Amino acid sequence: MNNSDILVIGAGVAGIEASLLLADTGKKVYLVEKASLTGGNVIKYEDVFSNMECSTCMIAPKQQEVLQSENIELLTLSTVEKVQGEIGDFTVTINKKARYVSLIDCIGCGMCYEPCPVSLKNEFEQNLSEKKAIYVPCPGSLPNVPAIDPEHCLQLNGKKTCNACVEACAFGAINLSDKDEKIEIKVGAIIVASGFDIIDPAGFPQYGYGKYPNVYTAMEAERLYASNGPTEGEITLRKGDAPPKSIAIIQCVGREQQGYCSSVCCMYSLKLAHYLKHKLPDAKIYNFHSDWCMPGKYYQKFHQDVKEEGVDFIYSPVAKIKVEGNDKSLSIEYYNGKNEKEKLSADMVILSLAMMQGKDTASLSKLLGIEQDTKGFFMNQAIQLGSVDTSKPGIFLAGCAEGPKDIQGSITQAEAAVGKVMSYLS
Amino acid sequence: MSDKIGVYVCECGPNIADKVDIKKILAEISALNEPPEKIIIAKKHKLLCSKEGQDFLADEITKNELTHLVIAACSPRDHDITFMNVCKKTDLNPYLYKLVNIREHCAWIIPDKDEATEKAIQYIRAGISRVTYQAPLTEKELDSIPDVLVIGAGIAGIEASLSLAGENRKVYLVEKTSSIGGKVTRFEKILPHQGTNLDIIQEKIQAVQENENIKVFTETEVEKAIGFFGNFEIILKNIHNEEQKNDFKVGAVVVATGFDLTDPEKIPRYGYGKIEDIYTSMEIEESNSKTGKILLKSGKPPKSAALIHCVGREEKGYCSRVCCNYMFKIAQYLKEKIPAIKITEFYQDLCLPNKADQEFFIDTKNKGVDFIRFKDIAVRQKDKEKFIEYTKMDGKKEKISAEMIILAPAIEPAEGSKDIAELLNISLDETGFFQEAHQKLNPVATSIDGVYIIGSAQNPKDISDSIIDAQAVGGKILTQLIPGVKLVPEVTVSEISDAFCTGCQTCLSVCSYGAIYFDEDRNISIVNEAICRGCGNCVASCPSGAAHAKHFTSAQIYQEVLEAIR
Ligand SMILES: Cc1cc2nc3c(=O)[nH]c(=O)nc-3n(C[C@H](O)[C@H](O)[C@H](O)COP(=O)(O)OP(=O)(O)OC[C@H]3O[C@@H](n4cnc5c(N)ncnc54)[C@H](O)[C@@H]3O)c2cc1C
Ligand SMILES: Cc1cc2nc3c(=O)[nH]c(=O)nc-3n(C[C@H](O)[C@H](O)[C@H](O)COP(=O)(O)OP(=O)(O)OC[C@H]3O[C@@H](n4cnc5c(N)ncnc54)[C@H](O)[C@@H]3O)c2cc1C
Ligand code: SF4
Ligand code: SF4
Ligand code: SF4
Ligand code: SF4
Ligand code: SF4
Repeated sequence: MNNSDILVIGAGVAGIEASLLLADTGKKVYLVEKASLTGGNVIKYEDVFSNMECSTCMIAPKQQEVLQSENIELLTLSTVEKVQGEIGDFTVTINKKARYVSLIDCIGCGMCYEPCPVSLKNEFEQNLSEKKAIYVPCPGSLPNVPAIDPEHCLQLNGKKTCNACVEACAFGAINLSDKDEKIEIKVGAIIVASGFDIIDPAGFPQYGYGKYPNVYTAMEAERLYASNGPTEGEITLRKGDAPPKSIAIIQCVGREQQGYCSSVCCMYSLKLAHYLKHKLPDAKIYNFHSDWCMPGKYYQKFHQDVKEEGVDFIYSPVAKIKVEGNDKSLSIEYYNGKNEKEKLSADMVILSLAMMQGKDTASLSKLLGIEQDTKGFFMNQAIQLGSVDTSKPGIFLAGCAEGPKDIQGSITQAEAAVGKVMSYLS
Repeated sequence: MSDKIGVYVCECGPNIADKVDIKKILAEISALNEPPEKIIIAKKHKLLCSKEGQDFLADEITKNELTHLVIAACSPRDHDITFMNVCKKTDLNPYLYKLVNIREHCAWIIPDKDEATEKAIQYIRAGISRVTYQAPLTEKELDSIPDVLVIGAGIAGIEASLSLAGENRKVYLVEKTSSIGGKVTRFEKILPHQGTNLDIIQEKIQAVQENENIKVFTETEVEKAIGFFGNFEIILKNIHNEEQKNDFKVGAVVVATGFDLTDPEKIPRYGYGKIEDIYTSMEIEESNSKTGKILLKSGKPPKSAALIHCVGREEKGYCSRVCCNYMFKIAQYLKEKIPAIKITEFYQDLCLPNKADQEFFIDTKNKGVDFIRFKDIAVRQKDKEKFIEYTKMDGKKEKISAEMIILAPAIEPAEGSKDIAELLNISLDETGFFQEAHQKLNPVATSIDGVYIIGSAQNPKDISDSIIDAQAVGGKILTQLIPGVKLVPEVTVSEISDAFCTGCQTCLSVCSYGAIYFDEDRNISIVNEAICRGCGNCVASCPSGAAHAKHFTSAQIYQEVLEAIR
């Protein structure tokens, strides 16, 4: 029995690209996404290196296409629970969490947020801002339909009776008795595009993250710069009233521990430097780097451009860098090119942290029956000759689920996975 | 016949209803009624995009026999397609409909209700004015040929051929040299991923040769390729015998012409070509895979070797991405063959973007290879001894001597890339590689539909990434050029009016897609609708006003603007 429907896990750029191509041929695609919105990590960035194109403008049309495609069934707030069978005939159980808001009836007007009495940390915004118990992670989320967090909604967690959002909605789109569902589907092939996560900065106390409020991760810095972010693009500090006058970006944090280079952090660190120069032209920007990894043909030119904008590049072994200070000011101790110890002070420190396998990689690999490599990412079958095959026929990899890479590489792999699916199933 | 225009205002729940006076809008729009020439029906609805709203619209169109439809609601980004689809369900041509955005442009941004209402009325009037100048457009269907031409039989071209060839699809694989396989057949080992030799490559080469759906042409070049996605006419010529030609048709063309190494003689400071025993990486690979040995010109094994990275990187302005890794490989070859050899690698940056690369570097280092990061470097000869003089990062100048020097010259696009680009009407970017349709989102496509670029012809790449590219082109072509399925080109394209065209050919020079051709006999330019994307460059540049963009004609825009600013 050959089923030609396809399951795609993860709706980041890779999963979206794969789904759209397959849907074009009339095949049915189930796109399963854990979050309440599509777009993965890329929608967190204001611009993308090295062409510095607006990230949302770039991928929103694709996200929109997913929503409008008749052949794609997008299942948000969903994860895969069980997979049985083999190529051509997989049976998959999906755990679909209740959204409590109808994707059909809601028009995304946002009238329901204001009345909700509950405020909580917004993880999408790297906890830099708050959201209500009924929320969209950021303005411009697609689908532009809120979800309710059942753990914090007073009505749903039973702490109080509340109906404020339901009353505020003029479209009858909210249904507090919505239930989690288990959905069973049958597919012929599976594409795993579950992306990456960032290594936890708590593992690197020498850089002061968590201890000093004005030490940030690169992802936090991305959101600070984003015009739809927590500060609407204003660069502010956790502690301090004025914008930072000096900023130090530290690259390669976690590289040694992970045993690989993340291949995009040099470039996104340059992007951050460029952002900051743009918004704070008078600020001093230091960039602590090791060897530059700039594998794209346009990338070195970008490096050159950022250098000319007046960013101070310091080649220094990251392992020997130390960040100290207090709530207000930070001092960075490092070894310069002559191997002499030096110090400089900065108002803000940004850590470019290693990319690592997505949080669900181990559990997914178990339930899909595919292997992980020694680094923790999903293992491709024939690494020596480039492959999107896994150890199991009919299951393919795309994007950062397979290893760190930029958007271009993620898209290419998604298209390659589609090529494989097409030659197996057509 | 008279125009019968339906105007439907959406309340969008409270979103529009609370912020503009819909009653007033309906009254003023209804007042534009001028029977019998222009009949206007104006109504409101609570939520036009809902299922119920769409059914209501379809019913209105049919019941009232509308000739034109104007919807005043949200942004076309949200629901243009929705309402076009409603039209398609009825007899109304979807290009006789217009969506006016009174939510984002009026209700949501103007706090004063009267002002918002006025602006909405003005916009709707502009929409009505425009829609009557719109023309019905119909989609055309074109037959397509599923077969594919692949240019260049390196690993990328080979893998692409294997991904594409099948029962219903022939692949023509064209290679200019006498054998297929490209550069990789010249290596002894493929690294960094241990344990691989050329068996897998040989298997792929054999699979191509045995595949009856792949026709290989060696010592052949493409002479002509004209047409458009789904239908290209191809002429091949044999390099040694101009008379020997082949012609056939394909639906798509894949460019996999690969790379060359930059000539290090052009950068005199490395001494290449002047001083003995200085080799390029490729020369070492070749002699090693042919003879199994790496020897000095004297026939003796070298006691010391210096491997210099990044040769030509600065001049080229980009990093070649594969040389750090293959220089480790060469160091390992040397260590294996000549265990006592002293090896120093001079590098600028270590570019290790794949997840296995760093381990390979550490492994190489642990085998006893020295690594020195330099700022400047030059090779000098003194009394038959070769010296590498370099400045370290701390500014100190030092020198060491080495019997053998191996250079990693920058990867550059294959010779002849420019000709291929001209032949296919695609572009090269500022680095000289083929330019992709979109740097991030569409890296294997080009600005010309149906023409693709893969492997190191697009960007310096290792074998893995070249193969992924080849499979990606498989993903593109297998989903977009399906045997028996017709292609539907864009309908909102440009057209040139025969009567007004003076044959100046200005438009030909501005069209980025090569969609316009010149008819010598009639002395006019003609748009090929299958290629045109409707960008409007020709429209803007035509001095005679002969070129029009369908659905964006001057008359349509003029009428809309006229009402909007009245
Ligand atoms: C700070 C930073 C800046 C960057 N800037 C750039 C840049 O400017 N340009 C560039 O080219 N690249 C950039 N990158 C790299 C870029 O983010 C990645 O290439 C890209 O996000 C990879 O896309 P993806 O679809 O593979 O993964 P992701 O974007 O991670 O998407 C994966 C998706 O899968 C979902 N998911 C995860 N687990 C599950 C599960 N179990 N079930 C269902 N769904 C699941 C996630 O919710 C997510 O939506 C940057 C990276 C970082 C860290
Ligand atoms: C010294 C060296 C060592 C390397 N070692 C490794 C390694 O260990 N591992 C690894 O992953 N990568 C390695 N690489 C990189 C590897 O060589 C490339 O990734 C690979 O060759 C790219 O394949 P390709 O098909 O894109 O190009 P190519 O191998 O260059 O093939 C292109 C083909 O197209 C043909 N062609 C060109 N123009 C035309 C035309 N106009 N008409 C018809 N045919 C044409 C050429 O003759 C050639 O056969 C190495 C590179 C070098 C320089
Ligand atoms: S019902 Fe829950 S989500 Fe709605 S307003 Fe009350 S607390 Fe917030
Ligand atoms: S749930 Fe209702 S109030 Fe909330 S955004 Fe959707 S339509 Fe608006
Ligand atoms: S990409 Fe750059 S910053 Fe990131 S690990 Fe590699 S070398 Fe370090
Ligand atoms: S890959 Fe390495 S040797 Fe090659 S240009 Fe880049 S940094 Fe230099
Ligand atoms: S620019 Fe105008 S007049 Fe000149 S050839 Fe083109 S269509 Fe004709």
